[in-house]
Amino acid sequence: MSEVDMAVIKPEMMKLYIWIQTTDGAIQQVEQEVAMFCPMICLEVVQKGMGSSKNCAISLPQRVSPAMLSLILDYCRFHQVAGRSNKERKSFDEKFVRMDTKRLCELTSAADSLQLKPLVDLTSRALARIIEGKTPEEIREIFHLPDDLTEEEKLEPLKNTTDDPRIRLLNRLYAKKRKELKEREKLKDVDAEEEHVDDRSVDDLLSFINGGDGDSKGIKTSKNKKKHRKRKDLQKRAPSNEAIETHKKESNAATSLRHNAKVDHELQSSLSEKLKLQDAAGEIFAPTVEFEDVDDEIDPALKEEIDREVEDFARILNSDWPERMQELLSLGQERRLTHLSVNGNGALKGHASSIDGNKKRIALSLM
Amino acid sequence: MLRKANSFPEEVLEHVLSFITNDKDRNAVSLVCKSWYEIERWCRKRIFVGNCYAVRPEMVIRRFPELRSVELKGKPHFADFNLVPDGWGGCVCPWIAALATAYPWLEEIRLKRMVVSDESLKVIAKSFKNFKVLVLSSCEGFSTDGLAAVAANCRNLRGLDLRESEVDDLSVQWLSRFPDSFTSLASLNISCLGVEVSFSALERLVGRCPDLKILQLNHAVPLDKLANLLRSAPQLVELGTGAYSAELKPDVFSKLAGAFSGCKELRSLSGFWNVFPGYLPAVYPVCSGLKSLNLRYANIQGADLIKLVSQCPSLQRLWVLDYIEDIGLEALAACCKDLTELRVFPSDPYGVEPNVSLTERGLVSVSEGCPKLHSVLYFCRQMTNAALVTIAKNCPSMTCFRLCIIEPRAPDYQTLRPLDLGFGAIVENCKDLRRLSLSGLLTDRVFEYIGTYAKKLEMLSVAFAGDSDLGLHHVLSGCEKLCKLEIRDCPFGDKALLANAAKLETMRSLWMSSCCVSFGACKLLGQKMPRLNVEVIDERGPPESRPESCPVEKLYIYRTIAGPRFDMPGFVWTMDEDSVSRFS
Repeated sequence: MSEVDMAVIKPEMMKLYIWIQTTDGAIQQVEQEVAMFCPMICLEVVQKGMGSSKNCAISLPQRVSPAMLSLILDYCRFHQVAGRSNKERKSFDEKFVRMDTKRLCELTSAADSLQLKPLVDLTSRALARIIEGKTPEEIREIFHLPDDLTEEEKLEPLKNTTDDPRIRLLNRLYAKKRKELKEREKLKDVDAEEEHVDDRSVDDLLSFINGGDGDSKGIKTSKNKKKHRKRKDLQKRAPSNEAIETHKKESNAATSLRHNAKVDHELQSSLSEKLKLQDAAGEIFAPTVEFEDVDDEIDPALKEEIDREVEDFARILNSDWPERMQELLSLGQERRLTHLSVNGNGALKGHASSIDGNKKRIALSLM
Repeated sequence: MLRKANSFPEEVLEHVLSFITNDKDRNAVSLVCKSWYEIERWCRKRIFVGNCYAVRPEMVIRRFPELRSVELKGKPHFADFNLVPDGWGGCVCPWIAALATAYPWLEEIRLKRMVVSDESLKVIAKSFKNFKVLVLSSCEGFSTDGLAAVAANCRNLRGLDLRESEVDDLSVQWLSRFPDSFTSLASLNISCLGVEVSFSALERLVGRCPDLKILQLNHAVPLDKLANLLRSAPQLVELGTGAYSAELKPDVFSKLAGAFSGCKELRSLSGFWNVFPGYLPAVYPVCSGLKSLNLRYANIQGADLIKLVSQCPSLQRLWVLDYIEDIGLEALAACCKDLTELRVFPSDPYGVEPNVSLTERGLVSVSEGCPKLHSVLYFCRQMTNAALVTIAKNCPSMTCFRLCIIEPRAPDYQTLRPLDLGFGAIVENCKDLRRLSLSGLLTDRVFEYIGTYAKKLEMLSVAFAGDSDLGLHHVLSGCEKLCKLEIRDCPFGDKALLANAAKLETMRSLWMSSCCVSFGACKLLGQKMPRLNVEVIDERGPPESRPESCPVEKLYIYRTIAGPRFDMPGFVWTMDEDSVSRFS
C-alpha cells in the first residue's frame, strides 16, 4: 500500500502513546501529545526516558487519582490543539471548572503535582471565588478546617455580646411600652381635624413599613431562626465564659459574660424551662412582632415570671442610675460603684441653648 | 498522604490567596484556622488600617513581613467639619519611621486625615527604592519642600495624589525636581495646591510620561494653557482642569475644543473653577463617553448645566452645585439612565433664604429616572416623608444615603411631622444600605427603625436628632455591622453607652460631641474596657476640675490593641485604669 493509503486506513497508527501508571496500580496508554502538555510528564519522558513501554510506565504522584487524571487529560486534549481562539478557550475553561468543591480541591491538587500551571491558575481562581465574601465559619465548614485559633491570635472584633440579659430585658420593656403607646393612640379622642388626617397618613406609612402580611410572615421565620440561634447561643456561651475566667481584669456589669452567666443561672434556677428562655433570649434583634410571638409560646407561669422581671427592670430603670448600677452589680456580685450620677435633664437644657447659635455651620457636618 | 474528603489543598493556598486581594476577604481568610493564619500573613501584600491608633506599627510589621502597600487613616471623619481641634493627633511620623526600617521594598503609602511632616516625606523619598504610589488625602503638615524630596528621589513613582490636602508653600519649584529621565508617572493630582506651579516644568513632565492617565491640575493653571497640555497627553482618562475662565477668544476656544476632541479615552472631568460658560461647549466632544463629571466648584447656572449634562448619556457619577435645581435634575433623570452616584452641594449654605429652587422633588425625579442610583449626597432646604418613602421604593439597591437638610431639626414641611417615617422607609427598603446620614426633625423612633432594619449599615452620622438614650440604644443594640458612629448635638447620655459598652469593641470608632455623656461615665468606660481608648476632648480644661456628672465636650472612643497613646495634646485625656486613680 502507498503511504497515503496507510494514512487514510489507519490514522491511529501514526499517533504516539505514552504509558502511565495511576495510583490504583492500573497502567494505561495516553496520547503522547496530550500527556506531554503536563510538564511533569514531559520531564519524565524527556529527562528520564520513561513512558515508552508498559515496563517503564510513568507513575503519577499520589495526588493524581484516576478520576483526576481523566479530567486533566480532557483539559489537555482541548488546549493542546493550536488553532483554538481565546474566546473558545475561555468558554471551555468556564464550563470546565463548574464542579463541586470537593472535586475542585482534588483537581487543584492534582494539577499542581503535575505542574500544569494554566490549570492550577484556573482552579485556584475558582477556589478563590468560593472563598470570597464568606465568613471564617463558612470557609471552615466548606473545607472542613479546624477552629483552632486562640483569642489572642484573633485580632478581629469580638462577637457582639448581645445575649446580655439587661439588653434582652430592655428590649422587651421597650417593646411593651411601644405597644401600650400604640393602643393609647388608637383609643384617644381626636381633637382636631388636622390631627386626624395626620394620623391616617401616619398609619398608612406605618402599614407600608410593617408590610401587608408582616405579622404572620414574621412569626414563621422567627420560629426557624430560634432553633438555629439556640444552638449557636449554647455553643458560644461556653468558650467565652472560659475566656473571661482567665482574663485578669474583671469587667463590670456592662461587659462581663461571666456576670451574664450568673444572671442567667439565677433566672434559670427560678424558671423551669431553661431552653425556652434561651430561645427567647436569642431573638434580641427581632422586631417587636417576634417578641410578642415569643411571649405567647411560653407557658403562663413562665410568662408571669418574665413580666414580673420586666416590671422590676422598669422600676429599676426609672429610678436613679447609681442605684440601678448597684442592683445590677449586686446580681453579679462584683465590686460596687460609687460616685456616679447623671444629670440628664440639666445637661440637656444647658446644651439646647448653646446649640442655636451655631446651627448653620454645624448642619454641614452631616456630610 | 491521607487526605480528608473536601480538604483544601494547602500546598496551593498561597497561590489561591494571590487571587484574593480584598481586605475583608483577607481578614476572613486569616481567621479560618492556625495554618491559614500563618500562610495568609506571609503572603499579605496590602494592609488597610482604618484607625492609626488601633494598632502599633511594630505589631503590623511583626505579623506581615512582606507588605508592599500600606493604607492608614488618622483623624475621625468629623475633623472635616472642624470638630476635631488642631493638634489632636494623627501624626504619621512613627509609622513612617517603622515602615522605612522594616519594608525596604514598600511600594505604596496611602494616608487619609493624617499629619505628615516634610521630614516624613523625606524619609519616604530616601527609604523605599521601588516606591510607586503616594496618596495624601485630606492631610496637612507638609510643604512643597517635602514634595521636592519625593520628586527628586522616587525614580519609579507612578502616582502622586494630594487630594484635599493642605500644602504649605515654601516657594519651591518642586515639579522641576523630577529628573528629565523620569517618565513613569501615571497619575498626578495637585488640585489642592494654592500656589502656582512652574507651567513649563509641568508641560515637560506631562510630555515625557506616556503612561499618564490621571491629571488633576490646580486652579492656578490658566485655561489658555490647557490645550497644550491636552495635546501632549491625548491618552488621559481623567482630567481636572484648572480655572475654567478667560476672555472669550475664538482661537483659544477652537484650540481647546480641538484638544478635547483628541482625547478619545477621557472618561472623567473635574476642576472647573471659575467657569466662564462660553467655554463649556469646548468639552462637548468628550461628553458622549464621559462617565464621571465633577462640577462641584462650577458656579454655572441651571440652563448651562442642563445643556452640559444632557450631552452626557453615559454619565455614572455627577457632583454638582444646587444651581442645577429641580428642573436640571429632571433633565438629568431623563438623560442619564446609567447614573449610580449623585452629589448635590449647597451654593449658599449660610444664606437664610433659599437662593435656588432645589427641593425634594429633584431627588425624587432622579430616583424615578435612574434605576441604578445607589449613592446619594443631597443638600437641600426642605423634605417630606412622602418623598423619602418614594425614593426608598424607587431605589431598593441604595448603598449610601446622605441627606443634609440645611436647617437643623426641620420637619416634613407639608405635615410638620418628624421625618422618622421617611428615613424608616429608607432603611427598611434599602437592605444593602451601608452608609446613612440623617437630618431634619427626628425622634427616637427613627433610631428604632434603624436598629430594626439597617442590618448592613456600617457608618451612621447623626446630628440634632433623638429625644433620649433610647435612640442611641436602638442603634448600638440593633445595627450588627455598625463600624463607625458619629454623633453631635444629640440628647444621648450615659445609659445607652454603658449598657452597650461591649458593642463598642466590635466597632472601629464612636464620636460624640455636644451630647450628654458625663465625665464619670467616660471614666467608668475607660476603666472597664481595656481594649477601648476612651478619649475625652475638652478645651475647657481638665475634666476633673468639674463635677463628675458634668458632660464632656467631645468624646472619641475607638477599639485598639495598642493601648493608650502618648502623643496627646493638653486638651485630650485617655480614660483608663491609671487615669481613674489619677482623677479620683
